[in-house]
Amino acid sequence: MSKNEFVLQIPYGTRDFLPHEAACKREIEASIADVFVKWGYDEVVTPTIEYLDTLTIGNGREVEPHMFKFFDKNNRTLALRHEMTTPIARVAASRLNEVELPLKLSYITNVYRYEQAQTGRQCEFYQAGVELMGVPNANADAEVIALSIELLRQAGLENFQICLGQVEFINGVMDQVNLSPKQQQQIKQAMVTRDLVGLGEMLDNTELTNNAKDILKRIPLLHGKEDMLKQAYNMVYNEQSKRALDNLTEIYNLLKGYGFEKYVNFDLGVIRDFNYYTGMVFEAYTPGLGFPLCGGGRYDNMLSDFGTACPATGFALGIERIMLALERQGLAVVSTKKDIYVAWQEGKVLDAIVQAKKLRDEGNSVELALWAQTEKTAEEYQVSKGYHKLVYIG
Amino acid sequence: MTSNDMDYLTIALPKGKLFQPSADILAKIGYTAEGLSEKSRKLVITNEEKKIKFIITKTADLPTYVEYGAADIGIIGKDILLEEGKDVYELLDLKYGFCRLMVAVPQALLQEKLSDYAHMRVATKFPHVAERFFNSKGIQMEFIKLNGSIELGPMVGLAEIIVDIVETGRTLKENNLIEIAQITNATARFIANRVSFKMKFDRINQMVEDLRVIVESGEGK
Repeated sequence: MSKNEFVLQIPYGTRDFLPHEAACKREIEASIADVFVKWGYDEVVTPTIEYLDTLTIGNGREVEPHMFKFFDKNNRTLALRHEMTTPIARVAASRLNEVELPLKLSYITNVYRYEQAQTGRQCEFYQAGVELMGVPNANADAEVIALSIELLRQAGLENFQICLGQVEFINGVMDQVNLSPKQQQQIKQAMVTRDLVGLGEMLDNTELTNNAKDILKRIPLLHGKEDMLKQAYNMVYNEQSKRALDNLTEIYNLLKGYGFEKYVNFDLGVIRDFNYYTGMVFEAYTPGLGFPLCGGGRYDNMLSDFGTACPATGFALGIERIMLALERQGLAVVSTKKDIYVAWQEGKVLDAIVQAKKLRDEGNSVELALWAQTEKTAEEYQVSKGYHKLVYIG
Repeated sequence: MTSNDMDYLTIALPKGKLFQPSADILAKIGYTAEGLSEKSRKLVITNEEKKIKFIITKTADLPTYVEYGAADIGIIGKDILLEEGKDVYELLDLKYGFCRLMVAVPQALLQEKLSDYAHMRVATKFPHVAERFFNSKGIQMEFIKLNGSIELGPMVGLAEIIVDIVETGRTLKENNLIEIAQITNATARFIANRVSFKMKFDRINQMVEDLRVIVESGEGK
C-alpha cells in the first residue's frame, strides 16, 4: 500500500470549489450580502466551534447525532455548528439588554452536519440567513419572508414558490379534539415524516369523531391561495387555530405590499419542526431541485433557553442549492472578468508594471506576464486564457 | 433532470411483482403511455399528449429517485420505504402487493423466546429494518446483508436466522424455516417528492383522490 494513498482525498461530505464554482458562489453571496445591507440587517460572525451544550440547548437530543464533535484540552465536548440560529440566539441573549430592539442580524457562512450527503448538501455546506429578534407581530414575519423572496430574485431565480404554514393551526386542532399527549406526539411525528398513510392508520385507531379524524387527515393537504384559507376557517372552531389563520391572512396582506403575493401559497402541511417553531413556518421550492431552497419561521421560545425571553423569526437558505437550481435552469451567469493581458519584451518589465498598474486603477482586470515574451507567444497566451485584449510593451 | 419541467409529471415504477398492478391501477385513472412495459428497452417512456413520463427502476432504488426529485411520484412497497428511510411523502396505501416482514429460523435452531437468539447472525435484505426491530427489543444481533436467496444463509452456515419478506410462507416451509416473529406488514404505497408535491400539488392531489376511490372500491386488487 502506498504511503501517500490518502494524499489526494478529502474527508467524506466535503468539497472543493474550483475557480468557476468559487466565482459562482462568490457572486451569489455578494448579491445576498448586498440585499442584507439594503434591508438593514447587520452581519455577525460567530465561531465555527462551540460547546456542544450550547448548540443542543433547545432541541437537545435530536440534532446531536448529526454533529461533528471533539474535545478541548479540558475534555469538554466541542462541536462544529450545525446551523446559525442557535449561535446567533446565544449572541443576542448576551447583548439584548444593551441594545435597542429589534435586533436584525444576518450571516453568510459554512455549517456542518454529519448526515448522508445529498443534492446541494454536503456535510459542510453554506447558508445565508437572517434572525429578526424582539418583534412578535406579523410585520416581522412578512419582512423575513419578503426578504427571502428578494434574495432568490436577486440571485437570478425566476420560477420558485413559497409555501407558508402555521404550526399553531395544528396545535389548536389537536387541543380542540382532546388527544392525549402521546397521541399528539405520534400524530406530529407522522406529519413531520410526511407519512400520511401512517397518520391515517393512527387516527383510525383513536376514539375521535369522524369529523375530527377527517380534519386531521386533511391538514397535510391544505394547500392553495386565499380560498383555501376560507375553507380552513370553516373547519375549525377553536381560538388558537383561528388566530393562526388570522396571522397568515395578515402576513399575506403585508406581502401584497411588497408585490410578492404571487410567489406565496398557503400550505398548512408545512411544519418543519414542532419542537422549535411556534408560529408561521415557510419553505421555498423551485422545479428540478427535489429539496427546499430555503426554510424558516417564528421561534419565540428559543431565546428563553439562553435566559432572556424574546420573540424571534428568521430563515436560512442553502447557497449550494441556489447554485444548483440556477445551473439546472440554465440561468447561471458567471463571467469571470478577464480584460487585458500585459506582456513585455526583454528589459521592459518596469514599463509593463507601470502600465498594468495604470490599467488596473482604471478598473480593468489585468494579468501581467511574469517573464519576457515575443508578441506572437503573448498573443497565443492571451487567446488561450480568454483575455479580451493584449497590451504588448516592446 | 426529468422533474425539472413543470408541465410534465414523472412517475417511477419498480421492476418486479409490483410493476404490473401499479401500471394497471395508474391506467385506470388515465395515467399510462404507449409501450409501457417492464420489458421496455426505453428508459424513459413518454406520453406527450398527457404530459407524463414513466421511468422503471430497480426496486430498492425507487425511493432514491423520488427523494432527489428525479421522479415526482412513484409506487413502491412499504418494506422498501422502511429499509431505505428516504424523505418522501407517503400519500396513499394502495393495498395490493401484501406481504409480511418476518423473522424465521431453521427448525433445528428453534429457541424458546426471542432474546435467546441474541448475538446470532441474521441474513437479510433489510438490515436497517431488522436492526431497528431487534434494537427495540433490546437484543443485539449481527447483521449480514444479502441481495437475494436469503433462505440459503442458514443452510450453508452463513447465518443462524433470517429476516425476509413472506407472501404465502411456502418458500419458508420448503426450506424448513419457522416464522418466529413478525416485524411488520407491507403493501404498495403511492409516494411523492416533497418539493414536487408542493409545486405540482393540484395534479398529484387529484391523482391521490382518484386512486383512493379505486382502492376503496376494491378494484385495485
